[in-house]
Amino acid sequence: MFGPTPCRDIGLVAGFELREMRRSRRALAVVALYLMVAAFLAFVFVRVLEQAQTVVNNPVALMTGTNGPGPGGPRGRGGPVFAPSPADKPSQGLLFSRRSPFRAVLRNQVSDDATMDFLVVQPPISLYYLLTSFMFVPFLIMITAAETVAQEHQTRGVRFVAMRTGRAEFVLGKVLGQGLLVALVTLLAGLMCLAIAAWNLADFAWGPALSSLLLFWPRVVVYAVPFVGLASLCSMNTSSAMSARASALLGLGALWLTHQAPALYADSSLAPVFNALDYLSPYAYQDELWRPLWNEVGTPMLLLVWLGVVYVGVGLFFYRRRDL
Amino acid sequence: MSATNGGSALSLRGVGKRYGRIRALDGLDLEVPAGSVFGLVGPNGAGKTTTFAIACGYLRADTGTVSLLGAGPFDAEQHRGRITALPQDAALGRDLTVAETLTYLGRLQGVPSREIRAEVRRILQLVDLTDRAGDRTRTLSHGMLRRVGIGQAFLGDPELVLLDEPTNGLDPRQAHSIREFIAAQRGTRTIIVSSHNLHEIETVCDHVALIDRGRVVMAGPVSAVTGRNDEVRITLGAGPVPLTEIRAALPDDQVTWDENTRLIKISFLGRPGREAEDVTSAALRVVLGAGARISTVTRGESLESKYLEMPSTPPPLRR
Repeated sequence: MFGPTPCRDIGLVAGFELREMRRSRRALAVVALYLMVAAFLAFVFVRVLEQAQTVVNNPVALMTGTNGPGPGGPRGRGGPVFAPSPADKPSQGLLFSRRSPFRAVLRNQVSDDATMDFLVVQPPISLYYLLTSFMFVPFLIMITAAETVAQEHQTRGVRFVAMRTGRAEFVLGKVLGQGLLVALVTLLAGLMCLAIAAWNLADFAWGPALSSLLLFWPRVVVYAVPFVGLASLCSMNTSSAMSARASALLGLGALWLTHQAPALYADSSLAPVFNALDYLSPYAYQDELWRPLWNEVGTPMLLLVWLGVVYVGVGLFFYRRRDL
Repeated sequence: MSATNGGSALSLRGVGKRYGRIRALDGLDLEVPAGSVFGLVGPNGAGKTTTFAIACGYLRADTGTVSLLGAGPFDAEQHRGRITALPQDAALGRDLTVAETLTYLGRLQGVPSREIRAEVRRILQLVDLTDRAGDRTRTLSHGMLRRVGIGQAFLGDPELVLLDEPTNGLDPRQAHSIREFIAAQRGTRTIIVSSHNLHEIETVCDHVALIDRGRVVMAGPVSAVTGRNDEVRITLGAGPVPLTEIRAALPDDQVTWDENTRLIKISFLGRPGREAEDVTSAALRVVLGAGARISTVTRGESLESKYLEMPSTPPPLRR
């Protein structure tokens, strides 16, 4: 399957891929758009936070007969309870007040108290980053990574490379390049979210926020692996960038439905089949990635990597037999 | 150049390939001698590009056997670094510079990192693009891109190079320079050239195969295919035709006369030790002595004439 220097070739292809992406206007535009959307949504999130503060403050003011806690007022002790802002800016601690709707959202995401206890001590902007990354990174991957091999087929540029290295090395280099790109973009998006939060939140602390980002960013990267695998599977077995992107988006939809099916057809006689198929969908492992301990997160992360390997392997199985 | 089985750099036996209902290759047999510059000639749709693609491993043959450098069909492990190609209509990446592109392909080819800069410089000089090394490939003209394509095929030290329409889109000076370079490679490596330019094939190649409807209809040394070494043609102007005198002077050769074209054809095929120069001299002595007027004297037929003798090609076969 591999030539005498597979790692060198994979590295060469990945490096070339990254250099080409760096120079490609289209790729830069997509990445810039993703980062802009991430920044904008982070800004909206902070504004929502501000609105939530108003909602929470008013009843307090009504009960106490005051205008609510002012600057330098009492703060909660030893936990992320509601704390007043030193200025007009909202507080990130607000999110975890008992009345916060964000807490309700989290409660829907997590199923156990240990995880909930872990999450409520994390900076909310980091949780927001994890949540939105889980939602949007698959789409980013399908748009950017799906065309990488297919484009080479469309232009027949693959023919310059095909005589110089094995097909597996070529594809794995492309996959590695795309994986590194996703890692870089998601890290930048995280830093951007933190910057937006620091600019807008009164009690934002960079230290805990960065450490939380470093805790969650690897989870986002690993979560992206099977999606990169799916995109490459589609890319390997289509003949144009357009068809690769379309098939990758369809594949994404199919994986999402695969994950929804067990709940939708819980009473059906096919429920065991749907439950088994669910293991093939990366969405099935998403909830596990919210857990606090690495030993709890490790298994789903390994399974996600394995799923990525399976997708790429299936793609390669057919790709090695196709005409270039 | 490494040794190859039976002296063939490329051997195709009974190769067939279909695209749906269209039969592109129909039991094609081809032997390319190692060290030769081999021309592949044929009309559009004859199967030249498909033959190339199968030889390069881009396509898989439906039937038949392929052997490259005596080691079976293309296999990256066996053949990497030993075979290169200039594919037809394949585009290089557009966003990197010429030097970066050549560096990437050269490194994949197996050129060591410490040698790659010198190798890229050599190739850039070869295709006269040194001054464009730092330009992105998207800014190059069609002809320049073609030259980069030719250059990448000579990166490293490949034993077999396949060039599909190499001078297509080049200006006459560049085309001449590339032709001279290809011809100079004779004996050092095997080069297969596909081209519609028959003059190019005739001047550059020492072996040729004519392909039509997915089969080789004629193949061999260029001199044999054109009759360059076994036939002399003399076209006469108006005036006497000393046919009897020529036959008397060359009793062992076959002399024919075509009234319409006023062509005397002297064939000495299969006569060992007989050289075209001797036959030409003897015939001309007779013709000039008889006071005949000579329009042209040629050795054999041009490749173009041979090509035009092939029946016109119908659309690809459908079954």
